[in-house]
Amino acid sequence: MVDITVKVNGATRTGSVEARKTLSDFLRDDLDLTGTHVGCEHGVCGSCTVIVDGRAVRSCLMLAVQAAGSEVTTVEGLAPDGALGALQQAMWDSHSFQCGFCTPGFVMQATAFLSAHPDAGEQEIREALSGNICRCTGYQSIIDGVLLAAHRSREIPCGREADRGGRR
Amino acid sequence: MKLPYVEYEAPTTVAEAVHLLAEHQDEASVLAGGQSLIPLLALRLARPAVLIDINGLGELSGVSVTDGLTTIGAMTREYVAEESEMVAGAVPLLAAALPLIGHEAIRSRGTIGGSLAHADPAAELPAVARALDAEFVVRSRAGDRVVPAAEWFEGYLATARRPDEILVEVRFSTAGPGTGVAFQEVARRHGDFAIVGLAVSLTLTDGAISDARLAFSGVADVPVRAADAEDLLVGKSPSPELFEEAGRRATADIDPPADLHGSSEYRKKIAATLVRRGLQAAADRAHQNNAHERQ
Amino acid sequence: MTQIAAERYTGASVRRSEDPRILTGQGRYVADIKLPGMLHAAFVRSPLAHGRVLAVDVSAARAVPGVVAVFTGADLEAMTVPGPELLLSLMGGGGPMPEYTLLATDKVRFVGDPVAVVVAESRYLAEDGCELVDIDYENLPPVVSAASALDAGSPPVFANLGDNIIGPHKRSEFGDVTGTFAGAARVAEFHIDVHRHQNVPMEGRGCVASHDAACGVMTVYAATQSVHVTRMGVAMRLGMEQDKVRVLAGDIGGSFGLKIGASREELAVAAASRALGRPVKWVEDRVENLTASGQAREESFEVRAAVGDDGVLHGLDVKMVIDTGAYPVMGTMVPTIIEMMLPGPYKLAALGFESTAVTTNKASYVAYRGPWASETFVRERVLDLLAKDLGLDPLEIRLRNVAPRTDPPFTMITGRPLVGVTSKESLERIAQVVDIPAFRRRQAEERARGRYLGIGLATFIEAAPGPRSPEGPSGPMGLEHMRLRLADDGVLTLFTGQMPHGQSHQTTLAQIAADEFGVPFGQVRVVVGDSDVVPFGLTGGSRSATMTGGVTLHGARQLRAKVLDFASHLMEASARDLEITAGQVLVRGDPDSAIPVGEVARQAASGQFGADVDTNFEVEASFDGGEGGWSGGSHCAIVEVDVETGLVKVERYVAAEDCGALINPAVVEGQIRGGIAQGIGAVLLERSAYDQDGNYQSATFMDYLLPTACDIPRIEIVHLETVPLDADVNFRGVGEGGMIVAPPTVVNAIEDALTPFGVRIYEQHLPPARILELIAAADLG
Repeated sequence: MVDITVKVNGATRTGSVEARKTLSDFLRDDLDLTGTHVGCEHGVCGSCTVIVDGRAVRSCLMLAVQAAGSEVTTVEGLAPDGALGALQQAMWDSHSFQCGFCTPGFVMQATAFLSAHPDAGEQEIREALSGNICRCTGYQSIIDGVLLAAHRSREIPCGREADRGGRR
Repeated sequence: MKLPYVEYEAPTTVAEAVHLLAEHQDEASVLAGGQSLIPLLALRLARPAVLIDINGLGELSGVSVTDGLTTIGAMTREYVAEESEMVAGAVPLLAAALPLIGHEAIRSRGTIGGSLAHADPAAELPAVARALDAEFVVRSRAGDRVVPAAEWFEGYLATARRPDEILVEVRFSTAGPGTGVAFQEVARRHGDFAIVGLAVSLTLTDGAISDARLAFSGVADVPVRAADAEDLLVGKSPSPELFEEAGRRATADIDPPADLHGSSEYRKKIAATLVRRGLQAAADRAHQNNAHERQ
Repeated sequence: MTQIAAERYTGASVRRSEDPRILTGQGRYVADIKLPGMLHAAFVRSPLAHGRVLAVDVSAARAVPGVVAVFTGADLEAMTVPGPELLLSLMGGGGPMPEYTLLATDKVRFVGDPVAVVVAESRYLAEDGCELVDIDYENLPPVVSAASALDAGSPPVFANLGDNIIGPHKRSEFGDVTGTFAGAARVAEFHIDVHRHQNVPMEGRGCVASHDAACGVMTVYAATQSVHVTRMGVAMRLGMEQDKVRVLAGDIGGSFGLKIGASREELAVAAASRALGRPVKWVEDRVENLTASGQAREESFEVRAAVGDDGVLHGLDVKMVIDTGAYPVMGTMVPTIIEMMLPGPYKLAALGFESTAVTTNKASYVAYRGPWASETFVRERVLDLLAKDLGLDPLEIRLRNVAPRTDPPFTMITGRPLVGVTSKESLERIAQVVDIPAFRRRQAEERARGRYLGIGLATFIEAAPGPRSPEGPSGPMGLEHMRLRLADDGVLTLFTGQMPHGQSHQTTLAQIAADEFGVPFGQVRVVVGDSDVVPFGLTGGSRSATMTGGVTLHGARQLRAKVLDFASHLMEASARDLEITAGQVLVRGDPDSAIPVGEVARQAASGQFGADVDTNFEVEASFDGGEGGWSGGSHCAIVEVDVETGLVKVERYVAAEDCGALINPAVVEGQIRGGIAQGIGAVLLERSAYDQDGNYQSATFMDYLLPTACDIPRIEIVHLETVPLDADVNFRGVGEGGMIVAPPTVVNAIEDALTPFGVRIYEQHLPPARILELIAAADLG
């Protein structure tokens, strides 16, 4: 067993894990953060996407021990007190999702992407999200949610960081 | 699909890592980016006794260019290499291939060295390394050894790395003036492994091809250099007919594997198409670069 | 005097109540459930497609620290009540039933067949235990194709059946088949194949079973399309009274027909929980889901078509073979629906149909979104093939065949009246939205440049729920029930047996109830997912828009009438003069008289009124579908085929749909697009592949390919003006239509693109390699 300390959603969390435990299982089972979903366990579907040290990663392809000393953000950490960040709000307004299982992965991947590419157009957004699989929506409503969030963020003058919700 | 039990080591220096490999040899797997290894563990297809996690070896990260040689540390993340202006300028073929590797989240963790040490014949980087005659520097307790790309890829997921060696860096010759590159692939979906991929580099001097490199992914259990096609091309002027013939030569002797995504014959057919399209794209870029350089 | 205005919700894209929790990671799926003392299960599964189990040694597995128990197939037989599979016994396909045990005991019948279950402190340890279960198998020759299953000499998958032909081999005739074929100008013959593919919800199957020995109650936290059907399955197999089994479901990560009843694994987990006295969780991983959860659509059709020189299709004669895999359930029922639906919205005068169902050593055939979809594939493919032979345009041949709306309505030769069907209008609408002549010009120009574009059309109808029939409720599965209750906080609660897994019922039903009862949307609560609390129901068959929308509408009106009757005592006005608007009960036209509906409920509960005054604000409503009706439409796709690589890009996709009145347009459009995406996936990417030894080859997402955001274009949806059939309930189902009609739409477009090569397509799965094969074969032929 390995003792680890990880910053998760701004809070210092500790655990004692087998080296073989994935970050996704550590988040879900040890830290009770079940918002991160496990859809394939081989890194293809993207449901398990979280942000580690500023980069979107597949938490099923990281060992928990590898996250020691890092900063991890899960979907629960995007907006405090269960409120909705700007991207989440835009997705709500756009009817982006149906069953919701792929949702946290998309939200995290889109959060990371928009952070780095706030002016992205539709084709870039599609490519950026092509590593996240949704079986319900046919993707259009998800793309629309991301486009709406991007559009709204451009309407806000710089400096109003609070309105940018969960994006860095 | 839970990983099997493994012992875990996280060395903090390369020397420590080398020492661990000497001790455990082929009972150990080296964990770099984990994007290929962890799925194998989850499927319980890989059963190492020990995982040697080299993510703590900061000294193995980094890109440097000196005297016509670009050195990339084995632990350099793919996204770092992708964003590197040094790489874009000095090893444009690598820069062309990197965005095709999986998806951004994969490249956040995956490493240059990890991909090349894993040596999946369907992957992009092995074809690039083979095309550019990259050099692989491996280290053991006995010291460093340099393995040329032609000798590095031994078979399916098998390289010349001995069980007590760690890949520390990969070196690429800097692309010369008038070079145009392309990485083309036929993949079922955006971001997938290619069914067949092709790394191409062409150098045009006074309108004629002075250097030609072509290497396939997905047509054998290792990346394959299309030497006959290269021989045909050198000294000639680019033309669709030339590229068509190059495609025939490049695929005459290949006997690609068959799987769910394509028969051997299909792979052969699209390989020829990729040669034609890849050479055209590389030639166009070489022309552009020549024009640019003349300005 | 301020007016009290009501917002109208039905027909608006009201934002979903489900989303705040979904978007913040607060959804509660089966895998999220943690109970004190909970254990984890993993299954030992057969590596062989067909074999005899000679010996099972679990001793090494039991010795793993953290492994609490290992149950073999034999153990589970002793722990459960043997019997036929629940759905098979409920719906009975006819013919002898295959006999088998809950987990494999003497035989394994497909790769992935569960043989034993290991229960441990963690899933990691349970899988460690599974590796140590030592099983001796005797390899038996596998039956891996329908062709070999049809051979009387093939080794029987089920000893008690004798051979592998399991469905009654029955022929039906509708109209004068012989005469129609004898008199036809042309008779064309085709063999058409639909390939095996599967549901693949993002959440696999799973449950947490928790048996409380003290009160003898089994609680199952399930991912299911019906808590009641799951309850029946668990109770039956565990030999328990149904009211001692409670099934709870929270959020469910998709299903598309997969999660109905209780699977063999879930039943084993429930039995394990009872034996161990601790909760046991099983969450299937992706390899299990792809390999063992079930697959669909593997059907082949010998088709004879009697057609006139004018392209009018007079008759079809179809022989169907369906490969139902091992442990057949759904597969034996599908041919019946296909037979009924084959004529579609066309003037077909005669239909001959016979079907054979076979069992093979592959995963079981399960319901997958529009299980009968092959009828549309066959019919719409045949029309295009005939059109090509006759030199007719695909739109034209359909216009010549589609039944116009008449009064009385045209009746399908198989019996159902096409009442309110707008297929003709949908074709005309496609022609308005897509400039087909302009496309043809562009197609010709691009062909000259060596680029191959194609356009494809297809038309479908879906009995969602189907027209009213004299026999009883519209559509299968009977009456829809709902309990509605007004509480004294003014909240209107709907208790429904619907089990949404993406359908947004908690939003759509609240919209209808809010409108019909008279409260704001936020004052309605929809309760689902507790078999102790909700009436019987099942989400499936595209029934909920009509059946549940309808019972909500009528139930809300009934409850409103009750409340107003009572309020008439309170407010000393006639109930006729009262209304409920924006959550207030008031005398119509007198806003000052308004009393919040919660206050009215509190008064009713106060006990001040005599026994002659009904103060019970609860209604149990049921609905038979009213006039019912059809959903349907026409879809059109424009594709480009790269004839050097075989890659296909869907450039444009248009759906002209009639699904009746829309409760929530955004929800409807999401359902349509999701179904279309699955149809595109089926044609270009998805195949459940077996090799000749029965080894499953599509067991990970590297090989079973799902469409991504780069594979599905923007889908344009135009809603047709619907024909209202019922005075009140004209919502029709839309869940399955996209998946039914998208495959032929896309295949038709691909064939059109490849016209210069003389390609004819008789199959549904067209990966790049196959497209090049078709081109090469056509060149040679």
